[in-house]
Amino acid sequence: MINTILRIALVSMSLIACATAVARPVSYAGGWTLIETSNRASSAGLLHYTMNYNLSVGARYEWQRGSDTRVTAIQPTFLAKRWFGRDYQANLYFSGGIGTAERKIGGIESSGRVKFVGVMADWETRSLFVSYEGRRMNLGQLGNQTMHAARLGWAPYEGDTGALHTWLMLEVDHRKHMDERTSVTPLLRFFKGPALLEVGYNLSDPSPLFNFTYRF
Amino acid sequence: MNKTVPLFIAAALATSAFADDDKQEMKHHGDGQMNHADMNHAHGAEHDHGANHEPESHEHHAMAHDHGDMAMIAATITHTNEISAALANGGAPVVVDVLGVVCDFCATAMNKVFSKRNEVAAIYVDLDKKTLNLVINDGSDLSDKQIEKLAKQAGYRIAAIRRDNEAMGG
Repeated sequence: MINTILRIALVSMSLIACATAVARPVSYAGGWTLIETSNRASSAGLLHYTMNYNLSVGARYEWQRGSDTRVTAIQPTFLAKRWFGRDYQANLYFSGGIGTAERKIGGIESSGRVKFVGVMADWETRSLFVSYEGRRMNLGQLGNQTMHAARLGWAPYEGDTGALHTWLMLEVDHRKHMDERTSVTPLLRFFKGPALLEVGYNLSDPSPLFNFTYRF
Repeated sequence: MNKTVPLFIAAALATSAFADDDKQEMKHHGDGQMNHADMNHAHGAEHDHGANHEPESHEHHAMAHDHGDMAMIAATITHTNEISAALANGGAPVVVDVLGVVCDFCATAMNKVFSKRNEVAAIYVDLDKKTLNLVINDGSDLSDKQIEKLAKQAGYRIAAIRRDNEAMGG
């Protein structure tokens, strides 16, 4: 029953919104991962350590450019479910975080506690990719933020182990707290060994996207 | 933050991160393209050997095996320079069918986990065949259970393990 509910939830989320899901936010047991993301809203870095195959804990720093808000937090990510098949893999993750937020407005510094929770889901084969990510962040007196992002991806060829893998992707995100609430970003994903690089450009809210992940 | 409560409830309900969708798929041998002697797998209730099955003709390993696509021929070891050199030094070949291997991060994870083991002389993850190829040092042993455990640490699940002649396609 639980399996069925989770499966329906995963498929529904994929179909409804399909995400800017960070590539594999939980790694192998004992592995370190560095994840950098930069998009129209923020630039962020997450360094996490995978304690078990289903749990990673990391330190996050995020600079939200529009409001000049700087978030520092501890972020655990839990792999709630992984579906395996011979030709596919699907994942359902939950993440959260707690830390501090600082904002400078008109030369006046204000700060507060920050809490956030997120959900990520993805399904992929060697040539197709669908994902969804949602996050709700509470910045205390600095306000709340909700983000939804979805992705569709297609690989024009199936690269072998260690070769350069290339993906064409389209990301749609919705951020209620921004002037341009919904935006579209076409991007390219390059994968090689332990490194992943994404470059794109937001067409609705003109700005570059640059994401980088490295597994140590 | 009330909107976040359902997320945590859902997380708490998910008692196991690894779904069991594939464990029950043991229906096979219908197309005759797969040699039973080439497979190591657990024989569950749904397993059909057909009329000519001789129960003593092969060894049954206690290993969950995904037979969702039985049109395939059991993959043999992938030869790389490292694998060939390790075999030439007397190492024992092992081919592991792995579920969910779709990208280089999968390969990296298994490389990292298995490479730490002293028993492993060479390793190669073949994304095309969806196999983990190992050569075990001469005189060492890595049991099926250990391989299964290491794969789980890497975040994956194995479907079958073939060793020695089976791994070499002999």
